Amino acid sequence: MDLLDLIDAVQSVADGVLFGATYSLLGIGFTLIFGVMHKINLSYAAASIGAAYASLLVMSVVQAPAVLAFVAAAAAGGVIGGLVYLVGFRFIPLANPLATLMSTVGLLLLIDEIIVHATAGVPLNYPALFSDVIVQVGPFGLRGDLMFVFALGCVCMVVLLLLLYRTRLGLATRAVSQQPTASLLCGISTTRVNVLTFVITGIVGGIAGAMTGAAIGMLSPLLSLPLTVKGLIVTVIGGLGSIPGAIIAGLIVGGLENAFQFFRGVSERDLYIMLLLFAFLVFRPGGIFARSAGRD
Amino acid sequence: MDFYLGLVQIIGVHTLLGLSAYCVLLTGQVSLAQAGFFAVGAYVAGMLTVLAQWPLIPALAVAAVVSGAVACAVGFPALRVKGLMLVVATVAFGEAVRLFFFNFTYQIQAGVLHLGPHGAEGFRQIRYFPEHGWSTLDVVLFIWVVVALVMAGLWWLDHSRVGAVLRAVGEDELAAQSVGINITAVKVSAMTVGGFIAGIGGGIFAHYTTHIEHAQFGVVLATFAIAYPILGGLSNVFGTLLAAVFIQGFLIEGLRFMGDWRNLLFGGLIVLAMNVRPRGLLDAGTTRALKRLFAAGKERSGA
Repeated sequence: MDLLDLIDAVQSVADGVLFGATYSLLGIGFTLIFGVMHKINLSYAAASIGAAYASLLVMSVVQAPAVLAFVAAAAAGGVIGGLVYLVGFRFIPLANPLATLMSTVGLLLLIDEIIVHATAGVPLNYPALFSDVIVQVGPFGLRGDLMFVFALGCVCMVVLLLLLYRTRLGLATRAVSQQPTASLLCGISTTRVNVLTFVITGIVGGIAGAMTGAAIGMLSPLLSLPLTVKGLIVTVIGGLGSIPGAIIAGLIVGGLENAFQFFRGVSERDLYIMLLLFAFLVFRPGGIFARSAGRD
Repeated sequence: MDFYLGLVQIIGVHTLLGLSAYCVLLTGQVSLAQAGFFAVGAYVAGMLTVLAQWPLIPALAVAAVVSGAVACAVGFPALRVKGLMLVVATVAFGEAVRLFFFNFTYQIQAGVLHLGPHGAEGFRQIRYFPEHGWSTLDVVLFIWVVVALVMAGLWWLDHSRVGAVLRAVGEDELAAQSVGINITAVKVSAMTVGGFIAGIGGGIFAHYTTHIEHAQFGVVLATFAIAYPILGGLSNVFGTLLAAVFIQGFLIEGLRFMGDWRNLLFGGLIVLAMNVRPRGLLDAGTTRALKRLFAAGKERSGA
């Protein structure tokens, strides 16, 4: 490989890491919901894409700068998150994990189909910010829109960590995730914490959906299944319940994805990500930052 | 008429797919790898009848054994983890299989035709049924004989000691382990049986559609596989059959007159069904009620 190829490879890995912030946010969402309710919400990535679509709807009604799309996506994500909890979890007995799994599958299909129905399945353009900016670092150029996405992702993560570790709500959330019965005895309303977790992860998901749209330049309902799979993979590689793990794993998956794409082509790219996941499951089932008893 | 026969074929094959997930779900494991085993069965059976000119039944048997072996091999690493981790591991396996067939090309020249799987284009010309003069009705009968055999086998399994062991692991692993059940062996066996059944289903699927490609075996098919037993209820095998008829017959074909709205209703009705009947359509309570009803009917006719 000559120098030019090497530069291209590093460049594509860098782009991947920047885009990986999206995967990180989705991974955090899956991890948080699993941490609080010990349930899988398979509709999460679809809801995130749905929130991004909702922000497009807002943008088409109101003439506003592109920044507003992200705010609208976050708000819509919160609303959809609350609805998902109401429809898919509230009235189903929690002792039965299969029922909620299936109801979230139903919601995934439902959200996808609402999108297809509303847009006739045609991909829509999504506004990007700073797409005309390219920062030159030596031989490498960093795309402005990707850098914005990455920075936004970092801000979200910091806010989320502050929320979890510096507020009463965060304390309650962590208490419920560790000992639901004990926290109920301490006067914490588990239902309220569950609802708020869904709303907060929904907001994060909405931002992730908008970031995906901005980084790719368009939105399509076809995005939701791959994003679901990638989000779940990030959750497992990062370790269930570990937020720093999800952040690092998201960036790693984003970077490796582009590396594999560069060396092996787009059709084989995801195959290697799956193999990486299997390697983690076999050798480090607790994820990157595994604690002693880190399984499940 | 052919339309309805085609529908009956689809329901049969999807029942097999659902039954393969049923075995695994009995042990409390959610496996989204069934579509992967289904794909392995489809490609193996198709290659045997098309490329090696084997008769159908041995080809299906080999496909089932290969899928079962793959399931067994996947079971060991995957079943070290459970819950969400297992879901992700099996999703990843299913996707890896799909992507493998996406990149898999093995063709031979037969006259003017190129036969065999061809990457993203898929595997065309699996023409065993028309070449051997099977009518649609023959195919339907064949499929349902296989479904009946598999269901009878699982019914028997369910009512034997094995079924009790499977359910014991599903209900409470710790308790099962403490009475001396080797839970890894039980889970891997259930996975193997599931892979075996999915292999048969996949093999039949390849032959009646005559064209298979990677996109048919994605995450959606895997979620359908677990949807049948979960929606139907895990109390017995007929729940899976009922759910396959409900989803394929009613939700997909029966609502076709609604056009675009059908797909919207599809997801919505699944959510509704889980809210109303969280333990499945045919849960233990309903089964008992039905049994009482039949018993009462018998007494009355006897008196």
